Order: sequence, then C-alpha cells, then structure tokens
Amino acid sequence: MEVDRELVEAAQAGDRWALEELVRQTHRSVYTCALRLVGNPDDAADVTQDVYLRVVRKLGGFRHEASFSTWLNRVTTNVAMSSLKRRTRRIAMEGAVVPVETRDTSPDPAERAEAVALARRLERIVAELPEGQRQVLVLRDVYGQSTDEVASAMGLTPGAVKVRLFRARERLKTQLEAVEGGQVVALAGRRRALGRRS
Amino acid sequence: MGCHDVRPLLPARVEELSPLDARVRAEHLAGCSRCAAEAAAYTRLVHALAAMAVLEAEPVAGTLERALAVIDRRRALMTDPRLAVFAAGSAGALVATLMVARALRRRRRAPQPARPVPRLAALAALAAPALAHAK
Repeated sequence: MEVDRELVEAAQAGDRWALEELVRQTHRSVYTCALRLVGNPDDAADVTQDVYLRVVRKLGGFRHEASFSTWLNRVTTNVAMSSLKRRTRRIAMEGAVVPVETRDTSPDPAERAEAVALARRLERIVAELPEGQRQVLVLRDVYGQSTDEVASAMGLTPGAVKVRLFRARERLKTQLEAVEGGQVVALAGRRRALGRRS
Repeated sequence: MGCHDVRPLLPARVEELSPLDARVRAEHLAGCSRCAAEAAAYTRLVHALAAMAVLEAEPVAGTLERALAVIDRRRALMTDPRLAVFAAGSAGALVATLMVARALRRRRRAPQPARPVPRLAALAALAAPALAHAK
C-alpha cells in the first residue's frame, strides 16, 4: 500500500498523531509480509512489533529515495530474517502461513472478488513451499525486490537465489496445474494489470 | 538448442537471465509453440503472485496495540529526560522479560523431550543394594 508522503514527513518531524496514523495504516501489510516470511502468526506479531521499534529509530534517516512502502518492506524483511536466524526450532508449516481473513486493498470493486479468490488459492500453495523457496519467491515475486536485494537479505549469493526462485516457480506452477488444471494460471493472465505495481 | 536445454530457463524472467541465455531462449521460443506456451504460463504466474501484494492478513489480536505501545514508550523517552534515566534501568528488565516470555511460549509449543532420570536419584537406586548389604 502507498502511504502519503506528507504523513511520513510529519511523522519524521515528530508529530505523534502522524506516527500513530502511519502505524495504523501500515501494520496489516507489515504483519502480512512478516507472516509470509516467518510462517507463523505469533512470530509475525513479534516481528511486527520489532519492525516499528526499528522504524521509530530509523525514520529520521529515511530520505524518500524509494517509496515509504518499499522502505518499510525492506525493514520488515531484515527484521524477519534476523528473527529467523535467531530461531532455533523449525516452524510447523501446515496451515500456519495462510492469512485466513485477507483484506483486498484494490480500489476497483469489479476486480475484487476474482483477485481475492485467486490470491487466496495462490497463498495456500505458496505456504506449502519449502521455507527457503517460499522466502525468495515472496520477496522477489510478491514484493518485487531485486535478486541482489533478496540475496543480501537472506545471506545468499544471487545465483543461489535464482536457483531457489526457479525451483519455487516450477513447483508452484506444477501444483497449481495439479489442483486446478491450469485454470488459475489462465485466469491470472486476465489480471495482469492488477499485478503491476505502481 | 532443443526443448530439453531450454526448459530450465523457462521459469526465469528475462532480466534474471544472462544476455546469452536470454537470446537462446528467445530464439527457441520463436520456433517452439509448446515451450512458448510454457513460458507464457510462467509469466502469468509471476503476475498473479504480484497481485498477492494487495492482500493483507488480519493480524492476531493485540498486534496494533503492541506496535503503538512501542511508539508511546519511545516518545516518552524523547520528551522526558528523567524517564530516559529510569527507562535505561528498566529496559534491560523489559528485554529480559520479553525474551523469557518468548522462550516459554516456544517451549510450550515445542514437543516435550523424554524427562531424564535425576542424577542423584539414579545414584541412590544403584547404591541401595550395597547399602542394604552393609547394614
């Protein structure tokens, strides 16, 4: 989601209301990104709290070179990856990552039902990918980070990121076709415009 | 290049390939409808994944309140220097409490290992016959 630049600047200037509004407007997207990366609702809530701790510390240094959403996604990625590195146990993946109650922020009501249905089906299949493949796929294809950014966030080489990414796409496509006979992929073609980021 | 050689390149976006691989793939796709259809399916899949970015999960209860509390604490520190001194002392306790709480919650969720026999009890059990004999 895009955040109003004036709101960000007011928050940077120390306006308490603006900072709280920033949190209210962005906490769901931060939580969703964290959930897709760490795969567990409780851990995602912990990551969300840590993200805003970092945001409050670093907001003054944000120079608007990228959009605030892009910057916030990078902060979330870094906090989530640090959290995963600290974690000593493996996550039980079954059913954990799928956001059951998704809110669509698409402004066009005509596209809403179809886009939500498709994305929910994708979300479930993405959630079942192996952790390493899921993370690169989410960062690269859902949040649009470059291969180098993903490599940096995950402590991998760009080549290793591409290997995981291509395997993840292969697996995802195979599973989509197995579940829905290729219909989802065909349907997705009609939704191309929705997938493009502003 | 045949289909077998080009197939590993199909899941990639053009910018993820080297210029040579991109050219090899483009040349093959121009003459192979089957691989072209496969590549188009990957492209549509990537677009569909990007659409996921507009969806948001409903956070677990208390997530927003915790995030706002972070801001409140930080602001209190910035506006009242006395609080900063007090907070410096309590920050360690807060961090320790959070870490312990997280550790306990994770331990509760993790499978419990078999409970080891206490060392002293085991030694006593081993020594019992000898002690009885000595008496």
